[in-house]
Amino acid sequence: MQAVSLGEEADGTLVLTLCGELDFTNAGTVAAVIREAVAGHRPPAVRIDVAGVGFLDSSGVGVLVQGLQSAEEVAARFAVVNPGDKVYDQLRISGLLELFNVSGAPG
Amino acid sequence: MDGNRGYAQRLAELGAKIEKARLSPEIVCERAAGLLAGRSGCRIDDAHSHMRLLATQQGSDVGTVAASVIAALETGLPLTTAGLFTTRSEERPEPEPRRPAPPHDVIDLPGWAAVAQQMLDVLPGRHIVVSPQRDDDGRVVDYRFAAVSPSMVDLAGRTGAQLVGDRVSTVYPEIVGGPVWRAWSDAVADGQARTVAPVSYVHHDDGHATEHVLTVHVQPVGAGLLNTWVRQDEPGRLADRIAQTERLGLLGWGEWDLVTDATVWSDGLYRIYERDPADGPMPREESDALGLPEDEAHRRHAAEAFGRGETVDVTTRAVINGRVKWLRAVIDAVRDTDGRPVKIYGIIQDVTVRETSRRKLAEVEEQLREHRQSLATEHRVATQLQQIVIPIPDAPIELPGLRVGVRYLPAEQASRVGGDWYHAAACGDGSIILAIGDVAGHGLHAATTMATLRHGLAALAVTTTGDPASLLTHLNQLIFLAGPGATIATATGVVARYEPDTRRLTWAQAGHPAPLLARRGATAELPRPEGPLLGASRRATYATATCTLEPDDLLVLYTDGLVEHRSRSLRDGVAQVAALLDRILAAGEPEPMEAFLTRLRRANPDDDTCVLVAGRSP
Repeated sequence: MQAVSLGEEADGTLVLTLCGELDFTNAGTVAAVIREAVAGHRPPAVRIDVAGVGFLDSSGVGVLVQGLQSAEEVAARFAVVNPGDKVYDQLRISGLLELFNVSGAPG
Repeated sequence: MDGNRGYAQRLAELGAKIEKARLSPEIVCERAAGLLAGRSGCRIDDAHSHMRLLATQQGSDVGTVAASVIAALETGLPLTTAGLFTTRSEERPEPEPRRPAPPHDVIDLPGWAAVAQQMLDVLPGRHIVVSPQRDDDGRVVDYRFAAVSPSMVDLAGRTGAQLVGDRVSTVYPEIVGGPVWRAWSDAVADGQARTVAPVSYVHHDDGHATEHVLTVHVQPVGAGLLNTWVRQDEPGRLADRIAQTERLGLLGWGEWDLVTDATVWSDGLYRIYERDPADGPMPREESDALGLPEDEAHRRHAAEAFGRGETVDVTTRAVINGRVKWLRAVIDAVRDTDGRPVKIYGIIQDVTVRETSRRKLAEVEEQLREHRQSLATEHRVATQLQQIVIPIPDAPIELPGLRVGVRYLPAEQASRVGGDWYHAAACGDGSIILAIGDVAGHGLHAATTMATLRHGLAALAVTTTGDPASLLTHLNQLIFLAGPGATIATATGVVARYEPDTRRLTWAQAGHPAPLLARRGATAELPRPEGPLLGASRRATYATATCTLEPDDLLVLYTDGLVEHRSRSLRDGVAQVAALLDRILAAGEPEPMEAFLTRLRRANPDDDTCVLVAGRSP
C-alpha cells in the first residue's frame, strides 16, 4: 500500500482513497486508519475508492469488511467504488458486491 | 605538627574506607569469581556456581569459599591485601612526588656547558643557554649556543641538538643588536637577570611571514646566560584549549591535596555539579551523598582498586539538582615512596547522554529479542495447532461411497502458516459432509478461528443440521461471537453434503471459489450459489446448489492459495489447475486423484493452500 488519503465531500461523506497493493503486510495499519477516521468523523456515508488498488488478498478483503463494520457502528452508508478487474473479481468471489454496494462491472 | 596530624587522619579515613570496601562479602565473592574465571577461562557466572557448589560440599558459606579462593589464587601475586595505609604520625611523608632519576650518561662530560645541557635535559619547559664569545680584547662580539632543551624546536623547525655549538649571529641574524642582544650584553656586564618583552619575531617560510610575540627571561648561569622563551599567547592558548576540551567533552577535573586538605575544582567540574564557582568545591561528604545507593557495589569496587594502587575508572550515577547524571570518574593519586597517596586527582566526565542512549539501545534490543521469540513461539504454536486441528492423511480417506484425498501446501515462510482447514466425515444420517475453509490472516489468531470453525462445523453437522446453507449461517454467527471490541475475523469456505444413496451433492459457499468438477475429460467450475464471506455481516444468508456425481467425476475443493497470484487473474489460475487435471485424466493414469494431488503447485508462495479431491468409490 503506497497511500491512504482522506477526504470529505460537501454532504459530509468520508472518502478514503487507497493506492497500491492491499495485503497482509499493511492490512493492520490501513484498517486502523479507516476505523479511526470513521469513528472520529462519524460521517453519514463512507466511500472507499479502490481505483488505485491493484491487488487485494484475503487480509485486504478483511480491511474492507472492517470498514463496512466501522460504518455500521456509526450508522453510515457504505460503498466501495471504482474497483479494477482483479479487485472486482476478488469482491465478487468473496460475495461482497452487494454488501459493499459495488455498482456495475468494471469498465 | 597540626598539618601532619591532619594528613595522618585523612590517610587513616581513606584507608578505613578502602578496607571496608575490601571486606564487603559481595566484593569478596565478585573478586574471587573474577579471579577464578580469569585463571580457568570460564565465565563469571560459572565461577559463581562453582563456588556455591564448593560451599555446599564443604558445608560452609560462599563468602568463606571466596576468601579461600582469593588466598589460593593470590599466592605469589604482588597484590597487597592489608595495611596499605598504615600511618605513622611521627613520620611526615614527602609531600612531593618523586620523579624518576634522569639518565646519567652525560654526567662525566667536562665543562659547565655539559652540566647545563644535562640540567636542561631534565628541566621542563624550553630553554637556551648561550655563552658569550669574546674577541682578543675581551669584548663580547657574539654568542654561541651552549645548551638547548631537547624539546626545543624553534620557529624554523630547528631542534635543540642542531643548534648547540652554532653562533647566534649565524642562526638568528635578526637578533643581533636587538633588544635581546642588548639584554645579554647588560646581563654579562652586571650579572643581573632581566626580562625582555615583548619581543617581536618575524618568521619567514616559503614567502609567508608570520609574526610571533615572545617573552624572553635572561638569567646569568656560570659563564653563560640561561634564556627562557615563552610565546606570549601560549598560556592563554593552553587555558582556552583546556576550557574548550572541558566544554566539548563535558569534562571536569578536581584535585585533593591530602597534606594541605586543599581541594581544587575546574570550571567544568562546577558545570557538571551545577554549582556556583563562588561557593567553592563541594565538601566531599556532600558529593558522596549524591550517589545512588544502587551503585554502592561499583563505588566499593573502585575504592578497593584505588587501595591496590590502581587508576580507578568507574561510571556511577549521581542525583544533581533532582536529575540523575551518569558520571565517569578516572581517579589516580600521586603517591610517596611507600605508596601512600599524597594528592588525589580525578577527571570527571558527564556521560549521561551516552549512557542513556546505550541503555535505550539495550532495551530496544531486548524488546526485539523478546518480539522475535514470541513470533517464533506463535509460529510454532500456530503450526502445531493446525496439525492438531487438521491432520493431513497420507492416503485417501475411504468414506461410505466416497473417496477423499487431501493435500496441504504450507506457505514458504513459517510465519505465513495458519488459517486453511478441511473437513471430510460421515454424519449420523448416512450422508457425508465435505468442507474446506480459509481464515484471513495468519498466525495464532487465524489458527484459533480456524479451530473454532472446523470443530463448530463437525459438531453442528452431527447435532443440528446437515444442510450446507444452514451450517454456513451458524458458522457466520460463531465468528461474530468473538466479542465486542475484538476484531472480527473473516473467513471463506465451501460446505457440501453428499448422499451416497442418491449420489446427490448439495453445496453452499461463503465468499469462496466454487469447486471444480472434472467430468468426461473436461474440468469446470460449478455454478456458484450466493453467499458472502463469513464475518462480513450478521444478517448474511446462504443459498445452495445441487448436482449429481457420476461414476468417474472428480470434485475439487480448494483454497485460493492454489489459484491466486499477484500478477495474473483468478480466472487464469483456475484455468491452469483445470488444465492439469484434464491432462492427467486424458493420460488415463490409474490413480488420477493421487496424481493430481502430487503434482499440484502453489500459485502464491505467501499463502498456504489446502486442496480436497472427492470421487465416488469404485
